[in-house]
Amino acid sequence: MQLTDRFTASDDVVAREVGGEMVLLDLNSGQYFGLDPVGMKVWESFQERPQTLAELGDVIEAAFDAERERIEADLLALAAQLKDQGLIVPSAD
Amino acid sequence: MEWKPEPPREQIALDSEPYDRWVSPIGASMAEFHRSQDGYLLRFLGQADFEVTPDDQEGDHRIVGWPVPGAKPEQIVNLYHNAIQPLLGNHTGGLFLHGSAVSVDGEDGAIAFLGLSRGGKTTLAGSFAAEGNPFITEDVIDLVKRDESYWLQPKRSKLRLFADSARFLLGEDTPIADKNTKQDVEAGDVLPFAREEVPLRQIYILGTDHRAPLQIRKLALQEALSALMPHAFLLDVEDKARLKGHFTRMADLVQDVDCFALDFTRDYAELPQVRAAVLASFAERCLKSD
Repeated sequence: MQLTDRFTASDDVVAREVGGEMVLLDLNSGQYFGLDPVGMKVWESFQERPQTLAELGDVIEAAFDAERERIEADLLALAAQLKDQGLIVPSAD
Repeated sequence: MEWKPEPPREQIALDSEPYDRWVSPIGASMAEFHRSQDGYLLRFLGQADFEVTPDDQEGDHRIVGWPVPGAKPEQIVNLYHNAIQPLLGNHTGGLFLHGSAVSVDGEDGAIAFLGLSRGGKTTLAGSFAAEGNPFITEDVIDLVKRDESYWLQPKRSKLRLFADSARFLLGEDTPIADKNTKQDVEAGDVLPFAREEVPLRQIYILGTDHRAPLQIRKLALQEALSALMPHAFLLDVEDKARLKGHFTRMADLVQDVDCFALDFTRDYAELPQVRAAVLASFAERCLKSD
C-alpha cells in the first residue's frame, strides 16, 4: 500500500459515533469494528469523498498534534486493516 | 396491521432457499424467511406460515397466516404478536427488541431483560412481578421515543411459561395442560401487569452461560450497541437501507439507556439474589440522577 492509493468508504458499512468512538457495522458480514478518535477522523474523511492516504495525512496533521512521519505510518497500517476487512474500497477518482 | 388466520394447511416444501433463519440455542431451525413474489413468506416450522406483502395503497402490509393442521389456536396468535408485529414494526421504522420487561417503583421506570430463547427472560420477569414489580411485556420490547425518553409499550397481559416456571411462580398445584410446551398464564393478583407505558431506564442482556455466578457489568456504549443488535427483530437482513436505519436507532438508544451484562445461575433458588442485585443497580442509577 502506498500514500498515493485512493480509497472510499464501502457502501456496505454503516457507522455511528457512540461515546466518542466510531462503531462500524459491516452489513455483509454482520461484524462490528471500533475506531478511536483518529480512526474516526479517517473514516469520516473517507465517507466525505474518495481520497488518497497522502491527502488524509493532511487532514490528520491539521487535526492532531503528531509528526507527519508517524501519521503516514499509522495511516498506512490502518488503511491496510480497513481494506482487508472490506470497510474501504479502492477508488479511481 | 389487520389480519386473520386462514384455515390450516400443510407446510409443503418451498422452491426457494431461505435468505435468513432463526436458529435455537441448540442449533435447531425455528423459522425460515423466504422471498415471495411480492413480499415475504415466513415459515415457523411446525407451527404456521405467514405471508407478508406490502400494501402500496395504504403504505402498510397485508398479512395472511396459515396454522399447520393440529396447531393450537393460540400458537398462531402468539406468533403474530411475538414475531410478525415486531418484525414489521422494525421494518417500518420502529424499535422492537426480543425481551421481557418489568415496571419498578410505580412510574419511575422500566427494566428490560434481553436474551436468547429459553434464556430465562420470562421467568425472571415473572419473578419480579410476583414480588410486586408488574411485568409490562413478556417477549417483545416495543419502544416509542418521546420527550427525551424511550417509552416501553405494554403488550399482552400474559406470560408464556413452561410447566416448571409456572409452578415456581404460581404454586405447585398449578394445573399444567402440557408439560413440554409453554402455556399462557394470565396476569392477576399473583403476577401483576402494568397497563400503562413506562419510560425504559435500564437494559440487562442475559448471558448464555446458565451456570455463571451472579454478576452485573455495565457495558460501554460501543459494546452495548453490538450486544443489542442480535436481539432486534429484522424482517429483511439483506435490506441494507433499512439495516442502516435500524443501526442508527439502536445507537441512539444505547446513548440514552444504560445497558448491562447480567449473568446468573439458572436456578429458581438464585432468583431472589438476582432481583436484589438488579434492583440495587437500578437504585444506584436513581441516586446518580437525583
